Order: sequence, then structure tokens, then C-alpha cells
Amino acid sequence: MAKHKERHHQKSVSKPNPFEAKSPKPGRADANHNHETAAAAKKKKNKLGPNAVAMKHQAPPKPNPFETIWSRRKFDILGKKRKGEERRVGLSRSLAIEKRKNTLLKEYEQSNKASVFVDKRIGEHNDELDEFDKAIRRAQRERQLKTNKKSKYNLSDGEEDDFEFQSLGALSERDDFEDDGLPEDEDDDTETTKTKKRLAMTDQMDGDLMEGEENRPKSKKEVMKEVMAKDKYYRAERAKDKEELEDFRQELDKSFTSIVPSKLLQIAEPEMKIPNEHSKKDELSEQEKSRSYFKTFGNLVMVSRAQPSDRTKTPEEIAQEEREQLEHLEEERQKRMLATDVNSDDDNEDAETPSNQKPRPISGDDLGDSFSLDEEPRIKKGWVDEILERNDASDSESEEGDASEDSESPEDDSEGSDKDINLGEKSLFMKDWEQSDDDNLGNDLDEEEEEEDGSEAHEEDDDADEKEMEPRKLKKMKKVDAAEAGQKEGDFLDAKKISQDGKRPSTQSDLPYLIEAPKSFEELGVLVDNLSNADIVLIINRIRKSNAIKLAAENRKKMQVFYGVLLQYFAILANKKPLNMELLNFLVKPLIEMSMETPYFAAICARERILRARTEFSGTVKNPEKSCWPSSKTLFLLRLWSLIFPCSDFRHVVMTPATLLMCEYLARCPIVSGRDTAVGSFLCSMLLGITKQSRKFCPEAVMFLTTLLMAAKDRKPMASQNSQFCHLMELKATRPLLCIHASVGQVDPLNFLTIVDLPEDSSFFSSDNFRASVLVTVIETLREFVIIYEGFSSFPEIFLPISVLLLEVAQQENMPQVLTDRLKDVAELIKTKADKHHILRQPLQMRKQKPVAIKMLNPKFEENFVKGRDYDPDRERAERRKMKKLLKQEAKGAIRELRKDNSFLYEVKARDKALMEEEKAEKYGKVRLFLQEQEHAMKSGQLGKGKGKKRRR
Amino acid sequence: MVRPYAVKGKKRKKKADVYDRAEEEEEAAAAAAAEPEETETEEADKKRSKGNEAEERKGNPIELEGIPMAPAEINPKNGPGAIFILEKASLEVAKVGKTYQLLNSDEHSNFLRKNNKDPALYRPDILHQALLMVLDSPINKAGRLRNVYVRTAAGVLIEVKPYVRIPRTFKRFAGVMLQLLQKLSISAVGKREKLMRVIKNPVTQYLPVNSRKIGFSYSSEKLVNIQKYVASDENSTDFVFVVGAMAHGKVETDYTEDFISISGYPLSAAYCITMICQALAGKWNIL
Repeated sequence: MAKHKERHHQKSVSKPNPFEAKSPKPGRADANHNHETAAAAKKKKNKLGPNAVAMKHQAPPKPNPFETIWSRRKFDILGKKRKGEERRVGLSRSLAIEKRKNTLLKEYEQSNKASVFVDKRIGEHNDELDEFDKAIRRAQRERQLKTNKKSKYNLSDGEEDDFEFQSLGALSERDDFEDDGLPEDEDDDTETTKTKKRLAMTDQMDGDLMEGEENRPKSKKEVMKEVMAKDKYYRAERAKDKEELEDFRQELDKSFTSIVPSKLLQIAEPEMKIPNEHSKKDELSEQEKSRSYFKTFGNLVMVSRAQPSDRTKTPEEIAQEEREQLEHLEEERQKRMLATDVNSDDDNEDAETPSNQKPRPISGDDLGDSFSLDEEPRIKKGWVDEILERNDASDSESEEGDASEDSESPEDDSEGSDKDINLGEKSLFMKDWEQSDDDNLGNDLDEEEEEEDGSEAHEEDDDADEKEMEPRKLKKMKKVDAAEAGQKEGDFLDAKKISQDGKRPSTQSDLPYLIEAPKSFEELGVLVDNLSNADIVLIINRIRKSNAIKLAAENRKKMQVFYGVLLQYFAILANKKPLNMELLNFLVKPLIEMSMETPYFAAICARERILRARTEFSGTVKNPEKSCWPSSKTLFLLRLWSLIFPCSDFRHVVMTPATLLMCEYLARCPIVSGRDTAVGSFLCSMLLGITKQSRKFCPEAVMFLTTLLMAAKDRKPMASQNSQFCHLMELKATRPLLCIHASVGQVDPLNFLTIVDLPEDSSFFSSDNFRASVLVTVIETLREFVIIYEGFSSFPEIFLPISVLLLEVAQQENMPQVLTDRLKDVAELIKTKADKHHILRQPLQMRKQKPVAIKMLNPKFEENFVKGRDYDPDRERAERRKMKKLLKQEAKGAIRELRKDNSFLYEVKARDKALMEEEKAEKYGKVRLFLQEQEHAMKSGQLGKGKGKKRRR
Repeated sequence: MVRPYAVKGKKRKKKADVYDRAEEEEEAAAAAAAEPEETETEEADKKRSKGNEAEERKGNPIELEGIPMAPAEINPKNGPGAIFILEKASLEVAKVGKTYQLLNSDEHSNFLRKNNKDPALYRPDILHQALLMVLDSPINKAGRLRNVYVRTAAGVLIEVKPYVRIPRTFKRFAGVMLQLLQKLSISAVGKREKLMRVIKNPVTQYLPVNSRKIGFSYSSEKLVNIQKYVASDENSTDFVFVVGAMAHGKVETDYTEDFISISGYPLSAAYCITMICQALAGKWNIL
């Protein structure tokens, strides 16, 4: 195995060093000794001549036909180089055999020999050298030996000395082969001697040279020269540096001039012009330049940097500004109130003083003067005027029916101030107040809210004492104020009555600009009474601005109280018999905005009120005589909340109970009068608005509408058909309230506000006109519901019976044409939508298994796959695998080689054996022949062959 | 210490061994080849069906609980299947620059011209489309596709398992094919299972014994309606469809029994395969 390895190694190494390959075993000294003998042998060989060797090589090898066969590729890959791919398998085989013959066979032949003949002739084992080269090498060696240490002290023959010095003196004259020979000698094993020899040579050389040049001290001249050269060199360096600096400066100048016109001309222009005065010489221009440069430099320093712009204002700041503006206005107002004092005090307002001092009546003649002088106050109140005018316009536009409302607008402060007139009427008002069922309730509610708020605040803030104290105080104040407030209310209404005739002079400028938020309803009453709608709104807005939550922390508290008060005010307004619709409308906006600011509090207020309404309702519903339908106040509040709070939430603290309450009204209240139908349909439409987005199902609303439709039929002729509706009718005990008895010419849309205003037993409710208009609203609401609930899968079940009912109603006598059309329209709508649902419905089926697709697997592949690379992410494992593979490959190769060696050896042995057998057999035959002949001769008695032959013949 | 003998248990590589054995058998005998293949697929099928049951048990929440289930379909593996052979596919790897690439007419037209080749013939995208069509068809999803064989223009035969998810983009497909042609097999992600591999010719040794082998060509005189043609066949035999995946030329095979054209117009390979799959889906009632 070891032997093999060596050989294998040799094979793998492309070209073994020819000198090392078969180095003679004996030591180096031996080699030296042997050299002479080898040289002698060479001489002998040389006599044979190179031709002899050449002849041997020229012997033409028999061409093996297998050697000419090339291996071929199975697949031709485009772009792949053919190099190294193709091999001649036969040739390599025969080459391997040849090599074995040279190595293995020789070893085998030597194996059972005691002694070895070693050929140590130089170059004899190197096949690459031809005879001539060998000869050269040998000659070389010979010469080297001559220059050996031993021969160092030999007296030279002259010839050789000449040679040495020649080489030193003129290197060019040295022999070529000497040059070549030296490095090659190093490869040889005679290294040690060689180096020594060479060292000796260089020593000699160096010694000569040093004595010649280096050891000689430098002359003065030389030293000076050196110093001068150094000096020159440094000077050149400095000059170069300077030049570079200059270049750099010029470049900077250039870039500077390119910048200057673009930016700085405006600033630096005057300065730039100045240097022109100094233009005397060209040299000076340089100075000027520098001067102007410094000037611009100075300017640049002075130029201000970019300033930060004003930032956007925070909401707090805006609120603060608003408040400040109001404060300013308030101040001015105060000044104007104390007109004479101010004028006397103010020296600055010289222009105004005369105008103010002038009594007005004088201005009757000279219009122009007074006009011009009068301008200022007018301008001051201009914006309020504008609002007022606008309001008036809207007044006249919107509600013409409520002429009384306009007249109710309060009058001047002066008029309101004389209280003593109304004292007698106070009780009456109180009564009126209580009748409106809001006073107690409202106050209680307020108190509770206050308390809640207090506790809430307590939770929020730490200073509990203060917060709790406040509500208490407020309550007390409220109680104290109650009487007064009543008085004021009296005032309020009284004034209203007095000033029926209407338009009051414009006194908005008298309204305070800064108003503290009223802490109770009475305070608000004081503020608000006898004012026009626009003024009330103005006041509310001013209150809100001057107490904006963002201004101060305690303002939140104030505003919450104010919110409660305002809500109460709204509720009371809504319950008033002649509705002040305009004011109600005006109030909605601030209410909404304020509940945005304090959402939590708003929700609490709303819930509390809803709870109250509910308890009240559950009380009244037990009493069959009394109508339990919600009052207009409740209706308005519900409407307000539906505006304030989001209706589309799935669950909402306010809207969910509000909706439930409305549904309860619809479900539980008996329909007794025409007014009930109107209120109910209003509730229905409100529910519609609420559920429109969320598409929640309100069965009460739909049922109520159905009931109304039932009520539109005159009798119950087809009881059997719609048992569920009959059942409903019984439950509700409705009479045919909406049955139209006489033909109605024209169907007017129902005005809910007028209905609310009407007394309960008005004849209008029993008129056919009213019935028709209620029916119209019912139908329209129903249509909307149909559209909303279109998506429900139970749609046909809900609405199909109604469509039947609709058609029945449409067939009533005396039904106006418009109504029948609408009824049929809605019925048709229901029908088409129900049909759609019916089409989509499928009969109950067995569950089907979805076919399951086979599971697909993703192929694993690499981007930019390279053949032979291991794509194992574990590098270590990949490396190990690679090494294993290599090892296996090597082992296989070794096994293969060994097998081939063995077979080769076996062949050789077999040949030898065969040869021996043959020899043996021959020998045996010879001996046998001899013996046979001998025996034959003995037996025959003849000695000679010839005789035998003869005898045989 | 050495492990006790009994602890050793099963050899880890057993499955792979089975696979290899199957491979050897396939190489050994054409007739016997189908058998181990089938057992293997059956095993796989069993496993798959088990997985499906587990999924079923989890249940689809939409379905109502009380309503009884319709009986499951019969195992599609038992029914007749279909085998597609895509002939003359132009898959050729070349060394372009320093890297090996799958030749296609778009990117390597200059290279091909330099080597005196017609760029119009190098269209691996046809094979890509065709494979997508076969493997995305409902008959494959239903498990009726047995195998797909691809024979390149150079004569390399590739077996593609029906549950391979062929890369959707051509670039990735080219990457897979490049690796397949150099490594001779592609395994699944996270599994040892081989999804595609290069196998020995001829393809006939892998085809089921009594299968109908149908060749398709526009050049054929026999123009048939594929729906009727497929439907008219008796139920139990497997189908072998031989479709050309090349740009020009004609499929020439000796093992096809029938040689038909299914349209008066020359069709693309992908569309032809789509038509066949639709016809088969109609015949086997796969929706």
C-alpha cells in the first residue's frame, strides 16, 4: 500500500523534479566521489555517440488501434469548452501499462536480488535531458569540483585565475552556461558545497570593491555638493507647495464670483461700486478686489438668517383670542354706556367728543354732519345688525304660520326692568309653568345631574372638597333664585304680551360681550328673557366663547352646568304651546357643539332624561283615560339626540335606550285619536331615520304602520284572511280612524308642528284631509322601510302580508287617486323584492362535501443553480460531506490502482512461470530423450546413432 | 458504548429505499413498472385522504350542523386516469458566459445565432404553459391525472408527478428546469420525495398496459370533436395523450394508436391541453 501510495502520488504530481526523482541512496560525499567515476563513464559513453541513443528512441512504436479511439460526449452542451473533456481511453491504458513496466516491474525484478546496481551518472535518470545536455551538466560538475574548498589553496594554473577575474571584471563576458548552471545546481543535492563556494566568491568580490570605493572618506567637494543638492530639493518643494496653494485660492475666487451675482448683489451693490473710485492702476485692482471682498464678507455677516414663521395656533390660543376680542368689545361697550364720563375723561378722543356732546335733535336740519358723525356707533353694531337682518329674513321665510312667535320677541331692557307691574300675575305664570310638567322635573333633574357631575368630577380631579362644594352651592343658589326666577319668567311673558306690536329697536350693542355662564335655569332666564331669537343665540355664543373649556380648567365645570341649563331651556321651549320653532332650531347648533365638547356629560344628561321619560310613561300607560303618547318635549328631545349622537352604532349609551323607548311608545300606546296616529307616524319616521344606516329591524314601527293601514279600512270584512292583523287590531282596539269617508280633492303633506300645536280634540283630526295626509306619510315611511329592510332574508315574511293589506286599502271607496297609486306602487315594490328573495331561496338540501383537491407540493430549487455546489445550508455538514466524497474517491482510485498493479504483477508472474514451465519441460524432454536414447542403445547394443538409424531403416 | 441491538428500530432511510427499489424495478421491466408506482401512489393517497378527514372533522363553520352529509364521492384513484406526454419540448441548457442557462429565444437569440442555431426553436415557455394547464386542470385536482412525461427535443425523458406545483413565473420555471437537467431530479420542499426526475427512455415502459394512446396534431386528417371522441371511449381504460410542446413541426411517435386533430385551426399546446382536460372533466363528471 505504501509503495502504491508513493507511486500514486507520483502520478498525480504532474512533473516530478528530474533531479530528485531517483536520487541515489548513498550520501552526498559519496556522490562527490562517484562523480569522477561517473564522468569517466560518460566519456566512455560519449564515445558511443548520441546517434546510438537517438536510434533507440527512433524505433517506431507499433500503432495500437485502440489508442486512436477518442471518448465521445453523450450530450453536446452549447457554449461549453471541449478542452479536457475528451480522452483517449486506450492510450491512457497503454501509458499506464508502460509506466508499470518502468516502475513496478523493475521493483519486482529487484525484489529477490541481494544487491543493487545503482546508476549514478548525472542526468541518467532524467528522461527529458538529451545526451548533449547531460554532457554539459557533467562538464559543469567537473568544473565546480575544481573550485572546491580543497582546491582553494591550490596553485592555479593561470588559466583558471584568469577566468575568475574575467568574470568579476566584466560580467557580460561570463559564459552563458555558467549563468544557467548556477541556479540549476541549487536544485541538486550539492547545495551545501555550492553555497559555500559562492559565499567565498562574493567575499572576495566585496572585499575588492570596498577597498576601492566605500571605505574611502568623502572629499569636501562631494560633501558640499550633497548639501547643495539637498537645499535645492527643499526649495523646489516649497515652491511647489506655494503654487498649489495659489491654484486653490484662484479656484475659490472663481467659485465665489459665480456665487456673488446670484445672491449678494442686492445687498452688496453699493459697496461694489465704491471700489471703482480707486481704479488707478492694474495693481490696485487686486487691492480693490480684496477690499470689496471684505465688504461683502461683512455684509454677509450682517445678513439675517431665515426667520421662523408664525406657527399655527393651538385651539387654546384661538379660544383665548376670541375671548380677548370679546373682552375688548365689552370694554368698549362699557365705555359707551357711560358715554359722558368717558368723553370727559378721554382727551384722546377729541374727534368724537363734539359729536357726542351734540344733542341729537339738532341734527334734524343738517343731515350731512350728523350722518358723518353718527357713523361710528353704526359701524360698531354692524355685524350684529347683519345677523339680525338675516334672522328676520329667515323668520319671514320659514314660518309664516307662527306669526305670534315673531311677536313674542322680547323687548328692551328698559321695558323689562319695571318689574312691579307683573307681580300680580306671578302666580298665574307659576301655574302655567308647572303645567308644562317640566319645572319640578327639570329642577330635580338638574340637581341630580349636578350631583352626578360633581361625583364625576370628583373622580376625575383630586380636590374633592371644592368640587363637591360647588354643586351644593349651586343648589342653594337655585333654591334662592327660584322665586326670583318665577318673577322673571312672569316678567318675560308679561313683557311678551305687552309688546305684541313687534319690532323692537336694535339694541344688541347693549348686550354684554363677556357673560359668565349661568349656573341655573333662572339665571339663564334672566339673561334671555325678552330678547329676540337672534339675541338669544348671540348670548349663548358669547357665553360659550367667554367660558370656552380650553381657556381654563374650571370652565369645563361651568360649561357642563350651562349645558344642562340650556337643555332644560330647550325642553321647556319645546313644551310651550305655541312653539317657538325658530329658536328651537337655533338652539340645536350650540347644543350639538357643546355636547361635542363634553360628550360624557351630554350622554349622562340624555340618559337621565330618557330614564325619566320611561318611568313617566310606565306610569301613564296604566291609566287608560290619559293619553300616554309622548309629549312634544319628549319628541323634540328624542329628535335632538338623534342629531347629537351617532345612530349607526350597534350599541350606544344614549341611542339604544332612546330607540327602545320610541319602540315602546309605538308598541304599547293605544291609538285612540287622530293625533295619536300623527304622533305615532312621526315616531315611525324618526325610527326610520335612526335605523336607516344601521339597518336594525324595528318590528314595532312596521307593526304600527300596519295597524294604521288596518285603521284605514272601513270594516273588518276578511277576518279570516289576516288573522294576525285582526289579533293586532283587537289588541290595539283601533277604530277605523283613518278610514276616508268622503272623497278628498287634494292631499296635503302633513305639517307635524301644526298638529302638535293643535288641541287634542280639534276637529281637524277627524277630517278626511287629515286622514289622507296621514296615510300619505304612512305609505312613504313604509316604502322607506321596505327599501331599508330589503336585504333581510325574512323580508317576504315581514312585508308580503302588508302588501296584501296595501292592496285592500287601495280598493277602498273614496280613496283618492294619488293614494291608490302610491299604495299600489309600494305593494308592487314589496312584491318585486319579495320575488327576488323567493328566487334566491333554495329548498333544504343535504350538505354537500366540497371536493378536496390533491395536495400540491412545491419543488425545491435554487436560483442560479451551479452544478456541483452543495446547497446545504449547514456549511459544516456540507464541508464534511465534501471531504468524505473526496476520501471515497481517493480510496476508490487507490483500490483500482492496486487491483491493476496486482493483475499486472500476476501477468508478469504468470509469464515467468510459463517460461519456467516451458524450460523445465524442455529440459525434462531433453533428459528424457537422452535417457531414452541411452536405454535404447543399451537395449539394442548399438552405440552410434547412425547405426541405429541404419538399423531402423 | 454501543447501542443495544433491539433499540435500533427501523432504519431512517427506509422510505427512500423503497423509492429506489421502485426505480430499479421500473428500469428492469416495463410491464412491472406500473405496479410499485401504483402502490406508492395508493399509500400517498391514503395518507392524503386521512388528512382530508381530519380537515373535515374540524368542519366548515358555515354549514349547518344538523343537516346530514351527502355521501362522499368514490375514490377517484380507482377510476380511469389520464397521462400526458409532452413531446419535443425545447429544454436545452447551455453555458452562456460563465453560467449555465436554459436557452430561450428571448434572452439568448444572439447567443443562439452565434452558434448557428435557430432562436425560433428554443421555446421552453410553451412547455411552461402546457404544464400549467395540465397541472391546474380540475382533473388533476380531482386526482385523475396519473403522470406527466416530458420528452425534450434532445431525447431526455422527464417524469413530472401530478402533484407538483409548477412555478408560476417563467423565470422560476426556467430555474427549476435548469436544475432538473443538471441534477436529474427535483425534490419537494421539506421532503425527500422527488417531484420531477429524468428517467430512461423509452416512455412506453411507464405507460399502463391497456391504455389508449392518442397523438394530437394539426396535420392529422382525422378531425374529431374531442368531447365526443373522449366520451365514446369505454369507461375503464386509461388515456395517454401525446401533445407536442414545440413551436414548429409535428409529433412523430410509434407508440400512439390514434392520431387525431381536434380543431380546424392550429392550436397552441396549452389550449389543446385545456380542451382535452375539459373533455375529460365532462366525461368523468368533474366540475
